[in-house]
Amino acid sequence: MNEDTKKQINAKYERSLQHGERFWPDSIYKDLVVSLGIFVLLLILATFVGVDNVPKADPSDTSYIPRPEWYFLFLFKFLALYGQIPLLGKVEWIATALIPGIALGILTLVPFIDKSPGRYYAKRALPIGIMSIMVLGMVLLTLLSDVPTVSADGSRLLGTFQAIAGIIIPVLAYSAFTFFSYKAKENAVRYIVQTGVVAGLLMIGFTVATLAMHTPVQAETVEIPTTLEERIVAGQDLYSVNCVECHGEDGSVAVIEGVKGLEGKEISPINGKDVLYTLNDATISEVIAYGRPNAGMNPFGKSYNPEGLTKSEIDYIVTFMRYIWDDRFEKPQIKPLFPVLVAGEVPSYDVHIAPIVKRYCISCHRPGKDSRGYFMDTYDNILHSGDNAANNVIAGDTNGYLLQVIQNHAINAPASGGDEIGVMPPKKALKADVIDVFVRWVMAGMPQSAVDAAALSTTPTPAP
Amino acid sequence: MWQKVYTWLDERLGLGDMYTALLDRPEPRGNWWNTLGSASLFLFLLQTATGIFLTVYYTPSPDHAYDSIQYIMTGVAFGWLIRGIHHWGASLMIIVVFIHMLRVFFTASYKYPRELTWLVGIGLLLMTIGMGFTGYLLPWHQMAFWATTVGTQIAGSVPFIGDFILKALRGGPDLSALTLQRFFAAHIWMLPAVLLALIGAHLYLIIKHGESHFPGKDD
Repeated sequence: MNEDTKKQINAKYERSLQHGERFWPDSIYKDLVVSLGIFVLLLILATFVGVDNVPKADPSDTSYIPRPEWYFLFLFKFLALYGQIPLLGKVEWIATALIPGIALGILTLVPFIDKSPGRYYAKRALPIGIMSIMVLGMVLLTLLSDVPTVSADGSRLLGTFQAIAGIIIPVLAYSAFTFFSYKAKENAVRYIVQTGVVAGLLMIGFTVATLAMHTPVQAETVEIPTTLEERIVAGQDLYSVNCVECHGEDGSVAVIEGVKGLEGKEISPINGKDVLYTLNDATISEVIAYGRPNAGMNPFGKSYNPEGLTKSEIDYIVTFMRYIWDDRFEKPQIKPLFPVLVAGEVPSYDVHIAPIVKRYCISCHRPGKDSRGYFMDTYDNILHSGDNAANNVIAGDTNGYLLQVIQNHAINAPASGGDEIGVMPPKKALKADVIDVFVRWVMAGMPQSAVDAAALSTTPTPAP
Repeated sequence: MWQKVYTWLDERLGLGDMYTALLDRPEPRGNWWNTLGSASLFLFLLQTATGIFLTVYYTPSPDHAYDSIQYIMTGVAFGWLIRGIHHWGASLMIIVVFIHMLRVFFTASYKYPRELTWLVGIGLLLMTIGMGFTGYLLPWHQMAFWATTVGTQIAGSVPFIGDFILKALRGGPDLSALTLQRFFAAHIWMLPAVLLALIGAHLYLIIKHGESHFPGKDD
């Protein structure tokens, strides 16, 4: 750039300053308006949208599908599409390092590559065209980030469409822009704008088509306990399912009874000072995750069993043990397991039976456990599963096996034959109010939802 | 009285000179797109303030990071607000800085005499993305852990020096307590220090050359 051009540029800038504005207060005013708008937007987002709750990091959970931050999604998608290219797709570093490196290098050196003094848009069709298509591509790749390249039925159509929208059309457009800007002379700008618009529309079209063909999988929403109370309750539920069989409801068991393979094993009660005072939270978590093979404790963590407990879940169990059994911790107020019933009220499966069953029955009555096939994990299974499906729960009949065994009456000769069905739960009888819930539920005909139960009640029930 | 105080301060601080040098400058006719730079600066200051508050309770160790954030969200008065602003401010800052870069590109403001402003600006963009990348791991939740696993893996695929980059980022072959400590140090000390220096250079250059005007047909 010679001195004359520089002088011209500076003179033009001086002229624009002549009929311009003052930094204070004109420009500052606009800046403040925008900053205030951003601040209000952030307050709204923080208050009404909040931050998603995500479970604690668990390095052993290799089934977790990794996703980068949203502003890297386009790069992630680009990598996935690039990987589809035969042969070249196998050379990963071209897509991860070389191409982003070149793009970033060009962006950084833009002032030294584009040295022409012209600043008006029509004089800069090539850089503007390339940047527009590039940014559009980034936005579209971000939108496509959830769509797999191979659909469930093995068709590669989705991947092909994405590659067309995200890679092939942009590359063709860049080449066309460059060609026009050097060969088409006075028509260059018009050609570049036309090609750019067509390419942009085609990219959007292929993206929309891809999104239309793909039905998004509804992500499983997991309720994550956040407050101390919620964590303790979550821990207690997990304890009931995983630990009660050996350690007992209150953790006091010293000799395991009635568990296959561990019968008669002597263990330390886990609700006393010996365990709670000598082991810190991290150690208890490790014992739960990795087990104590010599002491009969099985590993429950995910490293041994993909179905095992996650790190967060183990933490909840430890929190539960601390706050309920450790006398150094103050037990917070915890909601009762189920709302207290008033006279004439009928309990429902959803509100009353499900939490009770989860705490007292499921640890044995679930698939994979020897319980004469009687599973209590769902409403239907409670009513119709197991060897004695016809006799377990009979609407309006107190002689059903379920009501009998929880009220301390063993079934001497069950209809299915075989040994007697002992009282349930085997070690510790249910409290009277829990038994009352079961009796009222069966006598009223086992309503599933709170609405059904309210219809059967003889007194108006408060809304659940 | 106030006049006296002002004169006393002005004689010692040069407030009047500062006013003419920094605030009472002529500018080309402004445009709302020109506010994005100051918006980025505002977001930086907001992130700094909320970030400083967060470090009061945050603990950068795998055992306590997650719980300390749970505590900020549920136990600390207005902790949810501070964290919410920091969380959303990070995303918004990336967007605003990126659009600011696009504005400068489309109006060709990077040309003479503002080439260095552009170079420093690219540094600022990269630092902002770096802040996002290092900050994302700190909550130590599943998404953060696995996103960083993949992110560092991608950085590790660079030929020849990839293995070194991977180990330098992670502090070992796998994500561990060291990684968290490193990302924390980078997030609250190293990158902000670089950002601050670059912001200073960027602002100096802007005041030196003035804001560029929107290009007209004769530019």
